[in-house]
Amino acid sequence: MGILVWLESLPLSVWVHEGTSVWAQPTVLTLHTMGMGVLVGASWVLDLRLLGISRNIPLSAFRWVFRAVAISLAVNLVTGVLLFMARATLWGTAFPFLIKILLVVASAATLLPIRTYVLQSDPEQRDASSRAKMLAVLSIATWAAAITAGRLLAYTVAG
Amino acid sequence: MPSITSFNLAHVHLLLNHVPTIGSVVALGLLIVAYIRRDEGLKLVGLEVLFAIALLTLPAYMTGVAAFQKLRGQPGVSDTAIRLHQDVALYGFTWMEFAGFIAWVALWQARRHGRAARGLVATSTALLLVSFVVMARAANLGGDIRHPELGGTAATIDSAEFLAAKISNVMVNSPWAWPASETVHFLGLSLSFGVLLAINLRILGAMKRVPFADVHRLLPWGMLGFGANLITGMLFFVGQPKQYLDSAPFYWKIVFLMIAGANFLYLTVFRKAWTEHPESRWDATLADKAMAFVSMFAWLAALYCGRMLPFIGHAF
Repeated sequence: MGILVWLESLPLSVWVHEGTSVWAQPTVLTLHTMGMGVLVGASWVLDLRLLGISRNIPLSAFRWVFRAVAISLAVNLVTGVLLFMARATLWGTAFPFLIKILLVVASAATLLPIRTYVLQSDPEQRDASSRAKMLAVLSIATWAAAITAGRLLAYTVAG
Repeated sequence: MPSITSFNLAHVHLLLNHVPTIGSVVALGLLIVAYIRRDEGLKLVGLEVLFAIALLTLPAYMTGVAAFQKLRGQPGVSDTAIRLHQDVALYGFTWMEFAGFIAWVALWQARRHGRAARGLVATSTALLLVSFVVMARAANLGGDIRHPELGGTAATIDSAEFLAAKISNVMVNSPWAWPASETVHFLGLSLSFGVLLAINLRILGAMKRVPFADVHRLLPWGMLGFGANLITGMLFFVGQPKQYLDSAPFYWKIVFLMIAGANFLYLTVFRKAWTEHPESRWDATLADKAMAFVSMFAWLAALYCGRMLPFIGHAF
């Protein structure tokens, strides 16, 4: 608890939380949402392809997804940490927040085996293995759950 | 930050309110002539016009609600007459969006297979006819607002009986309706974003060896997200119109949505990527790349304005 109080009292945290500048919480939150759109959107497009949508596109053409995911994940890590610091005592003690973080970690974790699978796929390979398809279903579901959990935080914890 | 005042919006409504009715007549005319001449190309033009009208019906409805806020309480203006007009317009809007959605599916299919299924074209024409009839009634009721001397019926209706009031009641008072809609809105935006990212990146040069037709295959998934967000977005707007009406980012959001919607139509129907290089490796020109850039910018800007609503505006 002490560390949460300390985090929250840092000048940066106070600025994000209480700053009247549009660059404070509004911009940090908006960047977090944009990152979410790119991160989840790019993941979902690849998941859909693995499940057989737009079958003509070779899996290897989707390498760009991992670059988009890396960039947006970095943006959301930075903005997420800032948002956490701003109200550390609130988020750090809220069980629903823990669920959200676990769901985000689980979703991001599904990307690792999917990445290995796509990067090692044959340049012309179009069909995904049943294991890859299962990962895709899991990825779609965990991202949807993570967004749901994150959105509901505004009504359960911060509301 | 009301940089665009309700007063101006009432004027904008007087311009835009003609789009659903007169636009429908134009689209219906094109489709009927196309049927008589058996002209497949003209049918597609009719459907494209229909899609554009369905887009513009959104600001037509929204500016109408702004005009209501401006007019209400003024002497000689019947509150019931406005609410009745607004409610019929909401029904007309719903029919119009259905018509636009089916028209889009037909256009998407026509681009892929050379022609749209007869059933789809017929369905969107029928839906357009229904929405035209409803919109004509809305227009007629709209005339009664300022011209009661023309013999309009300003019957007394309990204000809680209107559809807009019922939706608003559920959205505001239900503990889950607003949060659930917000959640769907975020899921929908992610889906649209992902699909448009893939398509625009293809135009900008990623996945160059993939034929455009294959990324075009993804568009219905983008439409799914767009549709989910149109429905949930309208639930927010009808639920709590006042928090959006004097909010500058909200108007910008609608402007960017119109740009994004027009771009969506263009991505669906544009011919170059299909005919010039039928066997793949279509290289986008600088203009195409500029369009892809504008598309991504419009989506990001719409998201930015939406997320900023509670801060620059005062929505929750």
